[in-house]
Formats: sequence, C-alpha cells, structure tokens
Amino acid sequence: MTQEITFWVLAVIAVLGALVAVRRRNLIHGVFALMIFFAALSGLFLLLLAEFIAAVQILVYIGAVGILLLFAIMLTERVTGDDARDITSRGSFWGWAAALAVLVFLLLPAIQSADLAQTAQPHIPSVKALGHKLMEPYVVTLEVLALLLTAALIGAVAASQGGEKTKEDSDDA
Amino acid sequence: MTLEHCLILGAVLFCIGLLGALTRRNAVVVLFSIEIMLNAANLNFIAFWRFSDTPDQLHGPLFTLFTIAVAAAEVAVGLALVIAVYRHFKTVDLEQLDTLKEE
Amino acid sequence: MSFELIKDILIATVPLLVIFPSLFAFTTWMERKALARIQNRIGPNKTGIPCTRIGLFGLGQPAADGIKMIFKEDIVPRGADRLFHLLAPILALIPAMLILCFLPLEFPWGKFMSAPVQAFLLDSAVIFFFAISGLTTLAIFMAGWASRNKYSLLGGMRAVAQMVSYEIPLVLSAVVVVMMVGSLNAKEIADAQTGFNWFVFTPWGLAAFVIFFIAALAETNRSPFDLPEAESEIIAGYFTEYSGFKFALFFLGEYIAMFAISGLAVTLFLGAGDGPFLTSAPWLSVVWFIVKIFGLIAVMIWLRGTLPRLRVDQLMAFAWKFLLPISIFNILLAGLSHFALDARVAATSDAILYSIHAPHTHSGAVNHAPPKLVAGQKEAVMGALHYTDKNWVGAMEWFFKAALKGHVQSRSILAWWFGIWAMGLTVLYVMAKGLDNVSRSEVKPREYLYAE
Repeated sequence: MTQEITFWVLAVIAVLGALVAVRRRNLIHGVFALMIFFAALSGLFLLLLAEFIAAVQILVYIGAVGILLLFAIMLTERVTGDDARDITSRGSFWGWAAALAVLVFLLLPAIQSADLAQTAQPHIPSVKALGHKLMEPYVVTLEVLALLLTAALIGAVAASQGGEKTKEDSDDA
Repeated sequence: MTLEHCLILGAVLFCIGLLGALTRRNAVVVLFSIEIMLNAANLNFIAFWRFSDTPDQLHGPLFTLFTIAVAAAEVAVGLALVIAVYRHFKTVDLEQLDTLKEE
Repeated sequence: MSFELIKDILIATVPLLVIFPSLFAFTTWMERKALARIQNRIGPNKTGIPCTRIGLFGLGQPAADGIKMIFKEDIVPRGADRLFHLLAPILALIPAMLILCFLPLEFPWGKFMSAPVQAFLLDSAVIFFFAISGLTTLAIFMAGWASRNKYSLLGGMRAVAQMVSYEIPLVLSAVVVVMMVGSLNAKEIADAQTGFNWFVFTPWGLAAFVIFFIAALAETNRSPFDLPEAESEIIAGYFTEYSGFKFALFFLGEYIAMFAISGLAVTLFLGAGDGPFLTSAPWLSVVWFIVKIFGLIAVMIWLRGTLPRLRVDQLMAFAWKFLLPISIFNILLAGLSHFALDARVAATSDAILYSIHAPHTHSGAVNHAPPKLVAGQKEAVMGALHYTDKNWVGAMEWFFKAALKGHVQSRSILAWWFGIWAMGLTVLYVMAKGLDNVSRSEVKPREYLYAE
C-alpha cells in the first residue's frame, strides 16, 4: 500500500518536473525543475530496488550533469528571459502533434497489447554481483566506456576552449 | 505498482522530452529534453529487469549504468559545442542558426 | 504505514537529530575558543549564566548566538528570486542531516527495535553518502545566484567549481578502502577494522586518509580552502545577502556537513567505533566514534587557525594536478600490495602446510606420523592463517617470530612486505615532490600602465 502511494507521488513529481523543465522561459528555473525530475526518478529506481543505480543517478545527474547545465546557461545567454521573444520554434504545432501522436498511437497501444510479467521478483542481487558482472562478462564494454569518457573529456575541453582563454568549465571525468 | 504503470510513466516522460526537443528554440533546452528522454528509457530498463524471470543477470542495472555514463559524456560534449557556437554566433537560438540554408 | 515501521524510523533517526545539533553548539564554542587561543586572544568568556557575572568560560555563547540570529531581521534584496533565496539554506541543511544517517553508529537501545539500529542499512551506503553530499553544491549555487549580487554569484561559482573538483580525489581515496573490504556497506567496513586493524595503519590507507581529509576540508569550504566565504576577499561570497535565521541555517548546515564527512573518514579509515574496553561495554562504540569525530574536528579547527588561505587558481591546480594523480597511484599501490603480498603469502603457506601434512607415501598408505616442525614453522603457519590484508598487523607479528627463529620463507615474506611498501612510499613521495613543482601556477603580474 505504501508502495503504491510512493509510486504515484514520485510519478506526479517526475511528470511535473519534466513539464516545467521543457516549458519554462526562465532557464534556471527549468534546470532546477529538471533536477527535481532526476531526484524523483532516483526515488523510483529505489522503489524498484535498484539502489546502486539510484545512487549513481543522484551522483551523476544531479551532482554533475545538472551543475554542467547551470554553468553552460551562465556562459551562454541572459537567463532571466525578460524579453518577450517566443520561446518555441516556428513549427511547434507539428512538434506537439508529433509528440502526442507518438504517445497515443505508438507507445500506449504497444504497452496495452504486450504480454507483461505480473510478479516482481523479491530477490535483490548485491552490488558485489554487479561488480562481478562488470569485471567478468562485460569488461570490454567497461573499457570501451572508459575510452569514450576520456575522449569526451578531451573533446569537451578542446571544443570549449576556442581561441581565447576561458574560465574553468566543470567537466566530469 | 505494476509493470504496466512503470511503462506508461516511462512513455509519458519520453514524450514530454520529445516535446521539448521538437518545440523549444534554445539549444540548451533541447539538451535537457534529450536527458529526459534518456532517463525515461532507463526507467523502462529497470522496470523490465525488476519484473523479469532472471534478476540475477543484472541486465537492467548494467545497461542503465552504461546509459548514464554515455549520457553524461554526451551532455558534456554537447554543452561544449553550444558554448563554442555561442562564442561565434553570439546566440543559441536554433531558429537563427541557419547559415547552411541556401537562400 | 505500520506503527512498527514508524517507531523504528523514529528510534533510528531522532537520536541523530538530537545529538548532532547539540554537538554543533559545543563545536562553535570550541572553535571560537581554540581559534582565539591560537591567535593569542581569550575568546568568549563572559557569556555564562545569564543575569549573573558568572562567565563559565563563555559556554553560553552558542545559546546567545542562536537567540541573536533568530531575532534578527530577515532581509531579502529587491529583485532577488524569493523562492530560491528561501530554498537555498534549507537545501544546504537537509542533505547534511541526511548523510548523518548513513554512518554506522551503534546506539545501545537496539533492544527496543525490531530491525538493526543503524538508520539506513543500505548495501551501497558509501556511494549514497557521496551522492547526497553533492547536493550541497547545488544549494550553494542556488544561494549565489538567487541573491542577485555580483559578488555572491562569483563566490557561488567559485565554490561550486571547488567542490566539484575536490569530489574526485575524495571519492577515489574512499575507493581504496572499498576495494580492500570488498563492499560498499558502511557496517561491513566498520566490522573489517575491529581489533585495531584500522586502515590508517596501512601505507596506502594513510595516504588515502590524508588525501581524503584534505579533500574533505575543501568540500566543506573550510580553511585553507575557504575562498568562497572569505571575509576579506569577497564579502562573505554567497552568504552576503543572508541574515538572521537563514544564515544560521547555512552555518548549521556547514558544521553538520563537517561532522558527517569526519564521520565518514572515521568509518573508512579510523575504525568506526573501535577502541579499548569494547567487549565489556559494547555501548562504548558510540562514544569512541564521537571522540574520533571530535579529534578530526579539532584538527580542522587547528588548520583554520594556522594556515593561510589558498588562492583560487592554486586551489584548482592543487586538486587537478596534485591530488588526482596521487590518489590514482594510491589505488594502484593498494591493489599491487593486495595481490602481490597475497600471492606470496598463499604460496608460502601452501609450501609450509604441504610439508607439514606429509603426503601419501609411495605404497599408498597414509603417513600418520606427527609432523615435525622446523624452527619457526609453527609461527609461520599461524601467520599465514591469520593473514588477510585486514589484519596484517597480527599476521606480521607471527611472521616476525618465525623469522627470528630462523624460518627462511618468513624472512622472504617480510622482505617482500617491506620492499613493496618502501617502494610504494618512495614513489608516492617522489611523485608528490614532482607534482608539487608542476602544480605551482605562476600568475604573471599585470602590466600597469602609468599615466605619464
């Protein structure tokens, strides 16, 4: 029973956070709403008993990606959005139509018609098991990921340097 | 909290992200929306893992871990590009970045 | 929600919420007195019992400060973002309080509870600790931005850059301990250090502890890394526009974060709750934990009174060019010592045990004669049986005795031990010296154009 209530509360917070993040004119408010969305999603992961992923979600998304977005907003434009310019692009009607169409005609029917499992497994594998999996079957993927992150780090620093010296950008390794 | 509820929530969040990516003018907001879409997909992975027959294989958390790492890398590079574009064009409005369009 | 669940939650969390704020009050007094004595002053000595002349060494000062802050006027600058201006101190306090619950404190009223005494018994407690302590970064940014003040914004950005940079050596030095224990569970890490086998007594543990402590100073914006809130530099940085109760909340949040990070350092390196007289009085583990936390807080206060502040470019260079390479090398050293020594000890112990329990003779009959041990073999076997790298102190004792009695293989094991550690410490030292030279950023003085 408490699981149900928690699920609905977190779901509502996540949906509201995402909606505010994509519709708000003031970008800083948008980023904070996005962080609330990430936190709600982390709560949902905890509810689904993936506690390591919940911790990584907070650590990476709120602690690093969110801060990165804030820095990028600070560095790019006037963030308060007092001007009366339109925030949506010219073809936004088709954007709304496409998003609603994908939801209503593609995703929901797929979910309704699928043969879904009904029972949740009570067994929670430990973090140690995750570590074993990363080291034994999936070690190549882990190394490729490390290469990818190194490349992204170097690329981000190089792309944002430009010609002139700038202040430190917070990239996460 | 059945699997169906989690998947519907994931679908709704994905479409909100899609909405943001298709309708906003600001490049940074498009990057946020992509993050929302990636997170919705992660939610789907974990939900399917939780209700699967073989939770010991840890396919849900593993895939999610890789997705989170790749998304973080992508946001870093994307924002570096946005900053570089801003430095050149003095704007991040996607409607005004149309110098490749033939006129 | 069942009554049991609510009762358990309250019993596990309310003591933390009561004990740590009162420790906070005591710590503010201790800090002011200690700083004053270091700076050759007296510090508060008049605020004792109110309405009398009795000044109990200024012990009433925290209460006086608290009452003053509650009654001060709450000023919000015009044009500031009111919602965020209000939310920022709350967001700075809540994660600090939350991470206290992950520490493995064993309160003695466990018999009133149906579940274990620790508040959050999570399998991945250490990662949650780092994740939630990252939320303070966000609160500081929010404070800096919402004040609509250039100095606040500048202070906020610097603080965020500093905290994000120092998070990496912090986590990497904790990774060393997690690697050795094999678990992220705080309780298991605490249990692996019982009997004075604290990780700080190992060379890689000591290096990791020093790195962790320095990074923890920077995470909580304490001196010498307190440029974001420095009074002489930036008019209190992101705190500038906060007065009254909100300032008190920031202050409380900062000190509780200090307690929490010291608590994590004690858990990971100083053997959480381990100390003398534990078998006779198990409730003493809480006392030892808090005593160790206070020890670390005393060192933090001492550093505040002694060292000058680092400039922002020196700060960043120190994190990226010095602490990060050393912490990565530390992980390498820890892994090397674990695998090399483990392999040596295992090979040696197999050789000893094989020669003791004599194999079957050629005719197939089992040799039941009692094993004849050469000089030092018994101690060597005991050493090998005791050895894990969680209790190498005890094992080393046995190997020493064996080596003294002439057992050759024990001597070679000890030589390996000392060899790896000496090599590791030497390389760490040389690396530190080299990185020190590299990371000094020379700022060229600006050229002043004088009006002629």
